[in-house]
Amino acid sequence: MAEFDTPTELVDAARQVRDAGYKKTDAFSPFPLHEIDEALGIRRSILPYLVFGGGVIGLLTGLGLQWFTHVWEYPIIVGGRPHFSLPAFIPPAYELTILLAAFTAVFGMLFLNGLPSPYHPVFNVERFALATREKFFLLIEATDDKYDYEETRSFMESLNPQEVFDVEE
Amino acid sequence: MFNASDYMAPAELGRWRNLALGVGGICTLILFAVGFGMDQKETALRAWLLGFMFSCGLGVGGLGILILQYLTGGAWGVVIRRTVEACSRTIPYLLLLFIPVALGVKTLYEWSHLENDPVIQHRGWYLTWGGFVGRAVIYFVLWGVMQYLLNKWSANQDRSEDYEESAKWLGTATAFSGPTMVIFVLVVSFAAIDWTMTLDPHWFSTIWGFLYVAGWALSCFSFAVAILAYLSDKEPMNKILGKRHFHDIGKLMLALVMVWAYFNFSQFLIIWSGNIPEETVWFLARMKNGWGWIGLILILFHFAFPYLVLLSRDVKRNAKYLAIMAIFIMILRIVDVFYHIAPSPSTTGQELHFNGYWILYLLGPLGAGGIWLFFFFRELASRPLVPVKDPFLENAIEHGKGH
Repeated sequence: MAEFDTPTELVDAARQVRDAGYKKTDAFSPFPLHEIDEALGIRRSILPYLVFGGGVIGLLTGLGLQWFTHVWEYPIIVGGRPHFSLPAFIPPAYELTILLAAFTAVFGMLFLNGLPSPYHPVFNVERFALATREKFFLLIEATDDKYDYEETRSFMESLNPQEVFDVEE
Repeated sequence: MFNASDYMAPAELGRWRNLALGVGGICTLILFAVGFGMDQKETALRAWLLGFMFSCGLGVGGLGILILQYLTGGAWGVVIRRTVEACSRTIPYLLLLFIPVALGVKTLYEWSHLENDPVIQHRGWYLTWGGFVGRAVIYFVLWGVMQYLLNKWSANQDRSEDYEESAKWLGTATAFSGPTMVIFVLVVSFAAIDWTMTLDPHWFSTIWGFLYVAGWALSCFSFAVAILAYLSDKEPMNKILGKRHFHDIGKLMLALVMVWAYFNFSQFLIIWSGNIPEETVWFLARMKNGWGWIGLILILFHFAFPYLVLLSRDVKRNAKYLAIMAIFIMILRIVDVFYHIAPSPSTTGQELHFNGYWILYLLGPLGAGGIWLFFFFRELASRPLVPVKDPFLENAIEHGKGH
């Protein structure tokens, strides 16, 4: 893991790391950096598709539930209307659409981010606490296919960081 | 600071301006020639009313968005401001387009013939020619004052010496916009009720005004997207507009498509649940004799299709795709108001039947819309395309470039 003083240095370094072919990387910064996704070669999240799927499932569940209760299981005439009264079914179906889409968005986001994560080795580096204040960190994981201790370390040193740390498991 | 003369509209807009006037003028002439020459006055005036309501959606809707962007702030507001300002400056000319409606009240509105109807008698002076035209003048005066002041302060801002003075004018406009928004929504609500709801004088809906508040905002946002997309690859707007601006305005379009559907569905669900003859008559007239198909088209293409397409981030960030969607929505906006106007009971007391003259309904929006567009392009060219002295302009440009 390498430490940098400014966001620009971090983004430049991240680009070089990506171009060198490292995949299992991560960057840490006290505030969001717009360019970092592209610099690290992070692909767009599949979350929007999951949310859309969640919404469709919610819609079908809502309509199915009402069809089951009003048409199939216990048909009863209300206000002289047909058993399957679509206009009246729309609000509950809509609510379930929103509910499941929102649940998928929140829990999907947590899951895709690997949260909650009570332990992460980077916190073993004492200076990493500065990531929430003024310093910028770039991490290459040892499980990366291209990882080789000597080579990776010297490569990271070539990026002109403030310092390079070994992160202990 | 930016130099005002570098940010004037490109000269080729003049071609579009003249084309709009030509098409608008010819369509208007044919519309009224056929209407009066072949005794189709009612269809012709209804078609004109359709065109007038559509133009109002762009002009008055522009005033609404102008007020809105002062209240919310944000980069999209800075880049869209001059376009909707030009829309709002067309309001005096909309009064011109209103003249055929005011003169044609006897042909257009059934209430002008129902002196012996107890319901109409109960409405008193409200549903008389004087009341109708008097109120319309009040609406236009109120809208006119709003747009005059906001445009004046915006012009003052362009002449500011420094950011401090410019921020002062921005502050004045913002402070004015708060209470004005309330009055604006009320005026639009009253106007919509007068101009289209009273076509069926026995029927009423309390959400009617909001159908038009949302509808006009959607019309004008779509129109602004089309204009900005056209300008985005030309000098000077190619230096200003970025993907994110279109993304932001696209999100607002998506929201308004949903609001439109929400208001319409609320109206339908309440009337459907209540099932009272005096309320259901409006929907019954719009479901039988094939009108139900137009309703279905509106559900599918004014709501479902734009909703699903606008969910996509890639569409919203691509100026060209978003502009195509925006033009599509504008066409459906006309169909929506057509659905309000055309099935209304005829003042002749006869059943309405579809006939060849209904092609006039195409000429109405083309005629009134073309004339409106001429005034719009004229106003757009009269000022820089961005508020050059606005303290937030630089930030807004930066925002557009981001990811």
